Amino acid sequence: MAGYIGNLALFFSLIFNGFLIFSAIKEIRSNNFNNFKIINFCNNSIFFLLLISFLTLIYCFTVSDFSNVAVYQNSHTTKPLIYKISGAWGNHEGSMVLFILILSLFSFVFARTKVSEKLKFYTVFFQSILILIFLIFLILTSNPFDQIDPKPLQGLGLNPILQDPLLVIHPPFLYFGYVGFSLVFSFALAGLVTNNFDKSWSKVANFWIILPWSLLTIGIGLGSFWAYYELGWGGYWFWDPVENASLMPWLAATALIHSNIVTLKKDKLHSWTALLSIFTFIMSLLGTFLVRSGVLNSVHAFANDPYRGVYILSTILLITFFSLAIFIIKKPKKSLYGKYSFFQRDNFILINNCFLIFFLSVVLVGTVYPIILDAISGKSISVGPIYYHTILAPFLFVFLFFMSHGPLLSWNKEDKFLQIKNFKIFFPISIVISLVIIFWFFDYKDIILILGLLFSVYLIVSIIFDWITQKKLSFNFGRLISHLGFGTLIFAIFINAYLSKEINAAMKVGDEIKIQEFIIKFKSINKIKKENYEEVFGNFLVTNKEKQVELTPSIRKYDRPVQFTSETSIKTNFIVDYYFAINLSEFEKEKIMVRFYYKPLMFWIWLSILLIAFGGIYQTFRLRNEKQI
Amino acid sequence: MIFSKSTKTRLKIFSLIVIAASIILFFIYNNLQKNVVYFYAPQDIKNLTDTPSNKIRLGGLVKEGSLKKNNNTYVFIVTDLKDEIFVEYRGLLPNLFVEGKSAVVEGVLKDKKYFIASTILAKHDENYMPPEVANSLKKNKLNK
Repeated sequence: MAGYIGNLALFFSLIFNGFLIFSAIKEIRSNNFNNFKIINFCNNSIFFLLLISFLTLIYCFTVSDFSNVAVYQNSHTTKPLIYKISGAWGNHEGSMVLFILILSLFSFVFARTKVSEKLKFYTVFFQSILILIFLIFLILTSNPFDQIDPKPLQGLGLNPILQDPLLVIHPPFLYFGYVGFSLVFSFALAGLVTNNFDKSWSKVANFWIILPWSLLTIGIGLGSFWAYYELGWGGYWFWDPVENASLMPWLAATALIHSNIVTLKKDKLHSWTALLSIFTFIMSLLGTFLVRSGVLNSVHAFANDPYRGVYILSTILLITFFSLAIFIIKKPKKSLYGKYSFFQRDNFILINNCFLIFFLSVVLVGTVYPIILDAISGKSISVGPIYYHTILAPFLFVFLFFMSHGPLLSWNKEDKFLQIKNFKIFFPISIVISLVIIFWFFDYKDIILILGLLFSVYLIVSIIFDWITQKKLSFNFGRLISHLGFGTLIFAIFINAYLSKEINAAMKVGDEIKIQEFIIKFKSINKIKKENYEEVFGNFLVTNKEKQVELTPSIRKYDRPVQFTSETSIKTNFIVDYYFAINLSEFEKEKIMVRFYYKPLMFWIWLSILLIAFGGIYQTFRLRNEKQI
Repeated sequence: MIFSKSTKTRLKIFSLIVIAASIILFFIYNNLQKNVVYFYAPQDIKNLTDTPSNKIRLGGLVKEGSLKKNNNTYVFIVTDLKDEIFVEYRGLLPNLFVEGKSAVVEGVLKDKKYFIASTILAKHDENYMPPEVANSLKKNKLNK
């Protein structure tokens, strides 16, 4: 029954959408924009109808209505309630509904902000075209309310690896980020079409870029955190194509934030900002395609229906083609060039923009090349982490250097005072601190490690210096926090990559082994029976010079579908993580395979990601308050 | 000259961008070539003219009853239902490594019949089969 309501709501939102586009085109033709009421009414209706449809889907999952195909395939009655609810977006169909709902939500909220009517009109118009495209996709290829008859008695269950509290919130965050960029995209097209791509455009756009960017940052962080504690390999980033898919829009959006600031401050780089706005959303779409079409093997590839892939791919090509056509026809106005000096903040931002685009192309090539090669020659290859590390690291150092100095420069050539003062104080301080660091880590004799630490510390010192001498702290606070987060992130990543330790062994209860500086004792083993799984806990005692840690990793055997997962046990003192995972093996019944990892500064990686996102969120709130004044 | 001054500067900027972009692309591509790992089925290895010295991936079914342990080293057979290859692996076997099911291993070839694996790649669930393996198996089933 509920399924019908949901289906009906979807269908009506499609009708309203068609009506919106129809009347909008009529308005554009007659060239009077006084009929915003109808557009607004349709826009609101679409949002509420989609919301109803999404809530209905959640309801179907909650009550385990197995007459619904999506519920049948992805749920089970014995699953805890929270995972029944999250199951609604833990599958292809449901996640597409969420995708469209967020498209519509952004349009809905945007229509309530203070923007000129004409810009608003076009933005809502472009946004509704996007909604239409994806609604048709949803209804034709992946309707979440498809029915099965007769109704099955039990569902197939959700992949146990996805039954995790973090994965309840990871997809919504990621989607708010990915899909959120659609609004900047539509807004950029609106700005171009109406010849309004200027400072005032940038001012409004700022909020709509930083908000999804912050949410995407959190989404990526959550995904990475999940991979760290759930997969049991001690790593947090594997350069898996799925991870790259989320990194690409992030890099593009980071470049966009900065170029937009230049447009806002100096009325420059209009074309570049417009192009990045378009490009960021296309990267989001590409990510959606990679993840959803089944060309990649991962937990995210829910269904391998080739038609879906073809539809999304042709949609991407179509959207890219039309948005670029609009960009070329309606090129934004020329930049104003005043007096020019290399040591200006906007130049440094531009340089770092180039670096970001370079990073983006490295990731893009590494992700897409294997897929294209497979499609053309049938050869299958995989691109390992070494590719990314060797190619990114040297450029990252230069990037960090420019990032340290850029914010200390002034926007204008005339204002030389700041620069001289800064260099005189900041340079010696950071040199001294960097020398201390080199001395400290000299034992490792790895030039990459030392350079990485050097430049990240350099950045951190420059930010602290900037912070102390800051006159408009509340104005720059968001930027300072985000940049600080980035500095500590790079520092933590380098320390973690070079100072981590790993021990593998096969053990039975009572065994004690001594490897490197660690003594690992296998104390006991015990079993627990839970609602939808059985769990075997191992009790281990790890001792080294500094401390003694007790860890209890486990293996779960899920009923539905039958599957084993390793649950890790992690203890942290905020400096070092002690990380333990166990495995069963078919061939050695009497022994358990244990993996122990010593992971320094993991906590700081998570904290840094939070700082980066927090800076963005602070900035969006400040922008909102500013507008109301 | 045929070109006006502004066209000339634009041409200069444009060619500079093209040169920079091609250097960067060449650099990326070069690095990519060095670091990619090719996937082979046992049959592909048999058809090779010379044994590749760099890291490769090998995938197929783990032959039933072929797994043997000797000290810390496992030896098993990976098959694509047509050709077989011995795999030696030193380390811990993952949860989902089961005889008769598919597996992908990464390492180097000692010779055409013997593979030394450094990693056994983890899978997401039991019924999952890597598409490369599925393809090679399908091909051989059809040929039989």
